Amino acid sequence: MLPSRTRRSLQRIKPVVTSFLIQQLVNALTIGAIYALIALGYTMVYGVLRLINFAHSEMFMVGGHVAFFLFAASASLSGSALGVLVTLGVFAATFVVVGLLGVGIEEAAYRPLRRASRLAPMLSALGVAIVLQNAVMLFVSRRPLPFPAFLPPISFSVVGAVVTLDQIFIVVFAVALMVTLAWFVNGTTLGVKIRAVSENPRTAQLLGIDVNTPIRLIFFIGPGLGALAGILYASYYGIVVFSMGFVVGLKAFIAAILGGIGSISGAMLGGFVLGVLETFGAGLLPKLTNGVIGSEYRDIFAFSVLVLVLIFRPAGFLGEVVTEEGMVYKRDF
Amino acid sequence: MTSEATSRAVSIDPGGKIHWLGRVRAAAVIVAMLVALVYFVPSLPTYYVRIIDMVLIYLLLATGLNMVVGYAGLLDLGFIAFYAIGAYSYALLASGQFDIHLPFGPILVVGGGLAGMAGVLLGIPVLRLRGDYLAIVTLGFGEIIRLLMNNLVSVTNGPQGISRIDQPFLFGFPLKTPRDFFFILLPIAIFAVTLAWRLECSILGLGWAAIREDQDAARGIGINTTLAKLLAFGLSATLGGFAGVIFAAFQRFVDPVSFSFWESLTIVLIIVIGGVGNLVGVVVGAAVLIVVPELLREYSEYRMLLYGCALVAIILVRPGGIVGRHHNPAWIMQKLGWR
Amino acid sequence: MTLRFVGLRKRFGSLIAIDGVDLVFEPGKITSIIGPNGAGKSTLINMCAGSYKVTSGRILFEDVELQRLKKHQIAGHGVARTYQNIRLFDGMTVQQNLEVCLFSSYLGRTFAEVFVPGVSQRFKNERAALCREALARFGLTRFAETLAADLSYGNQKLLEIARATLLNPKVLMLDEPAAGLNHGETDHLKETLRSLVRPDRVMIIVEHDMSFVMTLSDHIFVLHQGRLLFEGTPAEVQANFAVQEAYLGSPGDVDGIRVAARNRANRVRLRSNANIERRRPAPV
Repeated sequence: MLPSRTRRSLQRIKPVVTSFLIQQLVNALTIGAIYALIALGYTMVYGVLRLINFAHSEMFMVGGHVAFFLFAASASLSGSALGVLVTLGVFAATFVVVGLLGVGIEEAAYRPLRRASRLAPMLSALGVAIVLQNAVMLFVSRRPLPFPAFLPPISFSVVGAVVTLDQIFIVVFAVALMVTLAWFVNGTTLGVKIRAVSENPRTAQLLGIDVNTPIRLIFFIGPGLGALAGILYASYYGIVVFSMGFVVGLKAFIAAILGGIGSISGAMLGGFVLGVLETFGAGLLPKLTNGVIGSEYRDIFAFSVLVLVLIFRPAGFLGEVVTEEGMVYKRDF
Repeated sequence: MTSEATSRAVSIDPGGKIHWLGRVRAAAVIVAMLVALVYFVPSLPTYYVRIIDMVLIYLLLATGLNMVVGYAGLLDLGFIAFYAIGAYSYALLASGQFDIHLPFGPILVVGGGLAGMAGVLLGIPVLRLRGDYLAIVTLGFGEIIRLLMNNLVSVTNGPQGISRIDQPFLFGFPLKTPRDFFFILLPIAIFAVTLAWRLECSILGLGWAAIREDQDAARGIGINTTLAKLLAFGLSATLGGFAGVIFAAFQRFVDPVSFSFWESLTIVLIIVIGGVGNLVGVVVGAAVLIVVPELLREYSEYRMLLYGCALVAIILVRPGGIVGRHHNPAWIMQKLGWR
Repeated sequence: MTLRFVGLRKRFGSLIAIDGVDLVFEPGKITSIIGPNGAGKSTLINMCAGSYKVTSGRILFEDVELQRLKKHQIAGHGVARTYQNIRLFDGMTVQQNLEVCLFSSYLGRTFAEVFVPGVSQRFKNERAALCREALARFGLTRFAETLAADLSYGNQKLLEIARATLLNPKVLMLDEPAAGLNHGETDHLKETLRSLVRPDRVMIIVEHDMSFVMTLSDHIFVLHQGRLLFEGTPAEVQANFAVQEAYLGSPGDVDGIRVAARNRANRVRLRSNANIERRRPAPV
């Protein structure tokens, strides 16, 4: 039985600890939702083409910029504050525009290289990423642009933690999108075809499934979701800038690996898990080590997670575990 | 069947009779070219000599990475880490950072050795991974090294880097200008390329080729693939370390920015655009990838944009690289008359 | 010098591929393993060669437990195999495909080979001589500088066998060597295989082609659903009830087997007349 003084001290700390934990959890879920949405794009493309689509992070960035201009245009047209319909319209339009961009890139830069080595499409993707990033930097803006908030700045207090409306919106909206995707991929014929092509393109072809339509769809949906994540991110942090894709994209990619690259549910899970790991890691490490390891180590943390996962469990949480006997040894290039 | 299977194989080893006249002719041509280089290059303006020095350093790096990527078929996207280890070795052991001032020669050995060990240590857990995963892990490793260099401020001075690095002396001669460095870089580069070529033709090179073709079948005929891959990693890392030491001595300043993923990528691109696995391609790639951006320096704003477009264009048009696989050094030698 | 499989079991997830197999292979003979598709024949070879990990059981050869070793170590003990789907090094020449087998013996001398001038040529000549000898034995000398991918199917199969026998293996396992060969090539193959028999060598052949198996083998193991169904000389196997049942599904139909075998032989002859190459024969 603890002495009463200690008990009272603990009782005083408990709400502080709880509110701290809940605050971190909310932050974690918010960023995790964004990572998850982007990770879906990486995982779907990898699943079907075994391609690490380096250009995907730029879809995220382009989406933010496209929405910026759509919002600006509609604001100047209507002259008033952004209504719900307008906002939804911008979301939909951005999804479609960036989705089409994704399909276009696949046709032009990846499809011709499908027969070539494993490495060639990846390098092409890198080239596309460089082009997109620099094009936006040069032709749109070098400096960050202020992104409008389409939600009122309401916040709630939950057990001492502050939860804002846009955090709730991000998580709810992202989850809704993921549920829709899951329904589509499991419940509809087209979706099942996508899954089949994703798991084994050769066999799917043998079964008479035309692989090109599912692939195009994947390159429409993946970048589209990434673009929506871009809008959410931009409105949360209030800015869009040409360089925002790189780091976030990398983290989302790590999330996809963590969850099991190639697995859609894995990407969703991985996104949230990485959000939690990163937020708690960055939040707790300084406290635990009395400031010796600061939160700059957040990035090293993320990369170490990546390396450790790949060394000890390359399949991630939900990926398919390829045993020695199942591996097909093919040339990489 | 691969697209390269239909290209004519140039036998590395025709064996049989030695045609002395042909060999003399080939040797004469090569010597003449070298003499021309050594005579002509130092008379160029310093700016150009500097560029050529960078080409040679990247050639060194690419030759190293080519052993892993081109010969053994392992995609390493974090090669820059070994370059960084070499460079920081010189920076830490020959500057005011810790007030240690070792001479150039020994640090070359130390830097190369450290990098080589790091290569082997990295290789051990990572070599059993499938191609893509290997690529990602090495990418992650490269980034971790850079971030460590960035954050271990007490050791590496963090983002500010280490400056006022000692001037290197070789056998008593100071290496000051890019011209001085050209005179040591050229023989070192030639040595490295020759070494790589002889490795490629040796039984180890043949084993690497088998691993690249079909790792499992290679094991089946008794090749210890783990050992062969570790050797590839270790040797290439050592070369990377050497290049790093020389780079630090050349710049006399190191900071983490020079060792980012983009640098790793540049080296991979040199190999891929030049022609994977082909030393001639590596030389061509190094020249192209270092010189062309310099030529575009005037449009420095648009440089990266053009770079990206060029990358996509080249990959689409010639995914195998500019230089075909069978245009390897043996082919060149045969063209020159070596029989 | 016998090769023993003791209580071998292999499970792939919930599928039991090999369910307790005890076999003894004598050197100096050709032993065949036959059985319907899915019986586990290739699995046995894969386990012995080290491609598959043994779920339980032992593989004993010359007092060494092979199932514990890594694949290249098993090869180092003199175990060689060919593959059902040819796995040559496509981008390398025929001679290089053979030369690379000498990797382990020459690796230690790589330093000398790279740095000491003249040594390189000597080693290359040594290796080339060994390879030329193997090429001559299999009639592939004129293809020495051809890329392996450019060979005809029959020659590719020969090259695989040449590669497997280069280092004088003590255990030689051939996985469906006759698959896809026409009549003439099959006969040539039979002669080649007979010439490979050595008093200290265990030869194991997994095959579907019954006439091939019956005329070539000294001893046959019949596998069915992962277990040994029957073993004996070719005559004994042909006469056995259980074997017929396994293959045809109805007991006592010896004539059925003979008819089927005869039909296959006919089909093979037709193919050779038409000069068409086929990759795999239809199952029996």
